[in-house]
This record gives sequence, C-alpha cells and structure tokens, in this order.
Amino acid sequence: MTKLSLRDALNRAHHQIMSADDTVVVIGEDILGGSGVDGGQELGGVFGVTAGLAARFGEARVIDTPISETAFVGMATGAAMTGLKPIVEVMFCDFMGVCFDQIMNQAAKARFLSDGRFDLPLTIRTTMGAGDGSAAMHSQSIYGLLATVPGLVVACPSTPADAAGILKAAVAAKGPVVLMEHKGLYGEMGVVDEALPPVPLGKGRVVREGADVTIVAVSAFVNRAVEAADLLNAEGIEAEVIDPRTIKPLDLPLILESVKKTGRLLVAAEDAAFGGFADAVISAVSRAAFSDLRAAPAAITPPDAPVPYGRKAEAVWLPGTDEIVAAASALATA
Amino acid sequence: MSAETLTWLAEKAWFIRAFEGAIARAADAGEVPGLVHLSNGAELLELAVAHALKPGLDQVTGSHRSHGIALSLGVDPYGLACEILGREGGLSSGLGGTQHLIAPESGLLGSNGIVGGQVPLALGAALSAKTLGTGGIAVAYFGDGAANQGAVLESLNLASALKLPVLFVCENNGLGQSTASSYAAGGVSLLGRARSFGLAADHVDGTDVVEAIKVADRLASWVRSAGSPAFLEASVPRLSGHYHGDAETYRGNGAGPTDPFDRLPKLLADRDVPEGLVAEMKARAEAEAERVVAKATQAADVSDKALQRYLKEAGA
Ligand SMILES: Cc1ncc(C[n+]2csc(CCOP(=O)(O)OP(=O)(O)O)c2C)c(N)n1
Repeated sequence: MTKLSLRDALNRAHHQIMSADDTVVVIGEDILGGSGVDGGQELGGVFGVTAGLAARFGEARVIDTPISETAFVGMATGAAMTGLKPIVEVMFCDFMGVCFDQIMNQAAKARFLSDGRFDLPLTIRTTMGAGDGSAAMHSQSIYGLLATVPGLVVACPSTPADAAGILKAAVAAKGPVVLMEHKGLYGEMGVVDEALPPVPLGKGRVVREGADVTIVAVSAFVNRAVEAADLLNAEGIEAEVIDPRTIKPLDLPLILESVKKTGRLLVAAEDAAFGGFADAVISAVSRAAFSDLRAAPAAITPPDAPVPYGRKAEAVWLPGTDEIVAAASALATA
Repeated sequence: MSAETLTWLAEKAWFIRAFEGAIARAADAGEVPGLVHLSNGAELLELAVAHALKPGLDQVTGSHRSHGIALSLGVDPYGLACEILGREGGLSSGLGGTQHLIAPESGLLGSNGIVGGQVPLALGAALSAKTLGTGGIAVAYFGDGAANQGAVLESLNLASALKLPVLFVCENNGLGQSTASSYAAGGVSLLGRARSFGLAADHVDGTDVVEAIKVADRLASWVRSAGSPAFLEASVPRLSGHYHGDAETYRGNGAGPTDPFDRLPKLLADRDVPEGLVAEMKARAEAEAERVVAKATQAADVSDKALQRYLKEAGA
C-alpha cells in the first residue's frame, strides 16, 4: 500500500495500462505538450495526468492533437472500432459541446448499430467542476447529461484508488466509458494498492454507515458529505454516505438497500438542477421503493444557472457542507 | 500614417500593456478569481484593426485572450478591470469574467471560453448587418490554434457561401497553449486555407504597425464595400505565458520573441513629435492603468446579487 494523489494514481495507472497493452494509445491536446517547439520540455497534460508517458511509450502512442475535438474524438472512436484502445482526453468537459456528435451519435451508438459486432474500447477522460474561478465554460459537471445518452458508461471517482481502478476498468470495457475527473480532487491524497486493481463499473461504495438518512454524493461532494455526516453526528443524526462511483450504470441496489434502512434520501450532485443526476436517482428510488420512504427525497445541487465567475457568486452557486447538513437534518426530522 | 494616428495608437498601446501588467499584479495579489490570458504582443495589430472599424456599426468577437481587443475598441477600462476582478461595475457584474467579456455598445459582441466558439457568432453579426442594411461589418478574432477547429473552418466556408461582411483576423503567435502551430496545422499556410474557401486574404506582420494599419484598413474597407468576407493573418508574438503564471517549460531555450513596442520610439521620433513625448506617454499609461486597476480592486464583489437577479428572472 502507498499514498498517492488522485493525479498521481491516474498517472501510474496510465503507465501500467500502456506497458501491459501495446494497443493502448493516449490522444489529446497538450497531453505531451511542447510538440513542434524547438527544445520544449513536456507539459504532461494541463493537470499533469499524462506526465512521462511520451518519454516511455513514444510519440506514436502518446499523440498531441490540434485543437480539433470533433476530429480527434471521432478518430479515437474509429480507432477503437479497428483494433486500438484509445484513451482520449477532452481537456474540460465543457469542450464536449464542440464534439458532441462524435460522443452522442458515433461513439455511443456504434455497438448498438453493429448489433454487437464491434467492440468499442474507448475511454474518454475529461475534467469537471466549479470552485476555482474558471467561470461558465471551464467549470461545468455534465455527468447527468452524458448519462442520458444510451450506450455511454459515465464514471465520476472521488478517491485516488477509484480513479485509477475505474480507468483500468474503462480501458478493458467493451463500450465507451466517460471518466470525469473533478479538478478540485487532483491533489486529493489516498491510500492505494500498488497494483491499482480495477474497480468494477456499476458498483458503488458505502463510504460511511448510518441508520437515519442516506446521502448519495458524487465526486467532490463525497468529502463534503462525509464532513456533513460528522457534523450531523453531533446533532444525533447518523448519515449513511454512498459514493455511486459510476453514474451509469447506477448501483441502484446499493442505494435501495440503504434507503430501506434509513427511509430518507438526499442526493448531492454538482450537475444539473433540472433533470440531472439527483433527479434521476430520486426518480429511480421513488419508483422502486416508494413504500420505504418516510419523507420526500431531497436534492442538493447548484441552481439552474451557468457557473458564475465572481467569487461571491460562485460560492453561492456551489453548495457546500452546510447545505448538506441543513438538508439532511431537515430530512431526518421530517 | 500621420503623426496624430501614430500618437493615438502608441498612447493606447502603452496603456493596454500597462493595463495587462496591472491585472497581472492584481492576480499575483490574489484579487483575480480566474486565470488571465494576457494580450501582450498583439496590441498594435488589434489597434490597427480597431482603427479600421466604425464605432456604433461594427461588432467584434474575440477569443479567451481579449482584454486588449476590448481596450482597442474603446471599452471602458474600469468596467473591464472590474469584470476581470469579478467586481461591481464590471461589464457583466462579474458573472462572466476574463474570458467572457461582453460590451456590444463598444462593438465587442463577446469574447469566449471555447476555442473557436466566437467565430460563428461573428457571422451572425454580419448577417444582421447585411439583412438590416446597417452598413456595419463583423470581425472574428481567433488564434492559430483555433484555426484548426471545425467551427472556424465551417465559418470560413459559410461566410464565403453566403457572402457575409465579416473580416476574419487570425492572430498567429505560433503557439496554441503549449503546442506549436507548425506541429498542429497541416499544410504550410493559413492564408492558403482562407483563399481556398474563396476569401480575399492577406498576411501582415502584426509588429509592423504602419503596414498593419494599411492592410487592416484595406481589408475592412473591402468587406464593407463588397459585402464579402476577407481573411487577415497577422503574425504577432505571444510575449507572456499562455496564461499569467504559466511556467512555460515547453517554450524551449531559444531567444524569446522581440517586443513590437521596441520600434515605437523611433517611429515617433521620425515624425517629429515633441521631445520627451514617449516617456510622458508611457508614464501616463502606467499611472492610469495602475489607478484604474487599483480602483477596481477597491470595488465590492456583488456577483452574488447578479446571480440572484438572474435566478429570479429565470424563475429558478
Ligand atoms: C474547445 C476548446 N478546446 C480547448 C481549449 C483549451 N485552450 C484554451 S486556449 C487554447 C490555445 C488556443 O490557441 P490559439 O487559438 O492559438 O490562441 P492563443 O492562446 O495563442 O491566443 C486551448 C487549447 C478551449 N478553451 N476550448
């Protein structure tokens, strides 16, 4: 066991995956960096996740691209149909707006349209998340939106071990997987097994047990939910925190089991206020286990507005631990 | 170029440089919420383009690197500084920030966080001008990196096919973030691309302000009179990092680009401007930029109230 940041865990997982399988290629903007610059040193990706890969595996397998998301995400998709296992990076998930045809129509539908004759071992890595002043087009979290597309697996890990393990599972998967990394979590430290074992897609994790209220929290919200659970303890409320890890397929059985015990559901997610992950979970639980619910489920999400730039506005926009505590305690006493 | 034009341009250029310096210092002091992409090196070219435009008629869209474009168009420096700092008095009360500058009253339709996203919007401004018969034109600024975006290539074609009065200005600084244009761009010439779409196209050394004024004026006049699109590729240096604070290890060890401002004093001297004017202009620019940004630093952050206003109106 060793302690690694989420960034370093992902980096190590890339090294392990690429050394174990020659068909894995990494594609994206500035993932090597300095391409075409005389004497330039590598950047290793804007967040350093792909550092050292080109030096070890060569520039034929670590491919810097022009700023042409439609073309290179589509290229990765076609390559996944024809023998390669690409890990393609879209620098910020906001930029998926540029290449959404290739994601929604091409990558997501190919296995269906081929009646399963294609495998599509495509991993799309991207970043997400507000809280650093990056404003409306570099801060979104669109996992709920992506999860509405049939054919896509969407995962949002919150720990170094899960990030590395999900990357491994994604590369081994038969269909396209979008791996969404929260910018605010890259420095997050955690204990990992050196082998960085794969984490099964579609399996959530109980982060903390509790009998009074179930909090399903995604990505950067997992830590806030755990903090909230500590504070709720002082009020005599025991919160159970669940990290779904995969947005779709959703580990609904794990959530239902918890709700059966607590009768109360709170979902904390940074994506859309309307029709996003929180609404999807609340809908699924209400349909499957209405009689287990002792209070109306609640959601903590940002408001239905683009991510604002100013510090005060962003702080208001992005819910924190306090909002989770308030919502959970209202729910527990409802 | 007349002495007056050159003096106007030099004064503004030094102010833009000083403004970016003051913004960089404010960022270092923790006063700026986001990362800023400074315009250092492109000032003269942007002023030359602004000089060819008609205030009140023309609309411009820009990239993530648009502080200088905004100032070249006459956007109020205090409103700009407040937006970059996310403060009261900002163009959008701090909702948009450094990459999303909107001042259509000054001819800045908007700058953009998505590389290439601003270019189709300029086509829209050109379509409005054409349909409404305003006599205005649109300008789309973008970088050499953005020149590889589908939205940009589609726009070159659409503007040509529909005969839209839009001037594309590609600021070629040789780099897109850390990647060289020579690596990322297939083919040797961006100009050749534009011409292949049927656009009138020209290249200018954006550090040569005399030429830049001439070429920008010629192309903008042609767009206005012919009602057809044109393309200007301007070589400009990127004197600072991709963003302020960028360590730039990818830059290599070659000599850095030279500053186009180095030529200004001689150009002015050749036009018999009064002795000491250059030093005076620089000092004025520094003092004014410092004053504006310092005042913006004192302004309150009311972005939360702006967000509440938006939510109320949206019924959220
Ligand atoms: C669609 C999209 N892809 C990538 C980025 C990240 N990014 C921001 S600026 C930039 C480089 C742009 O280069 P260029 O167009 O040459 O403009 P310059 O920065 O040189 O002014 C990149 C890759 C982005 N903001 N949007």
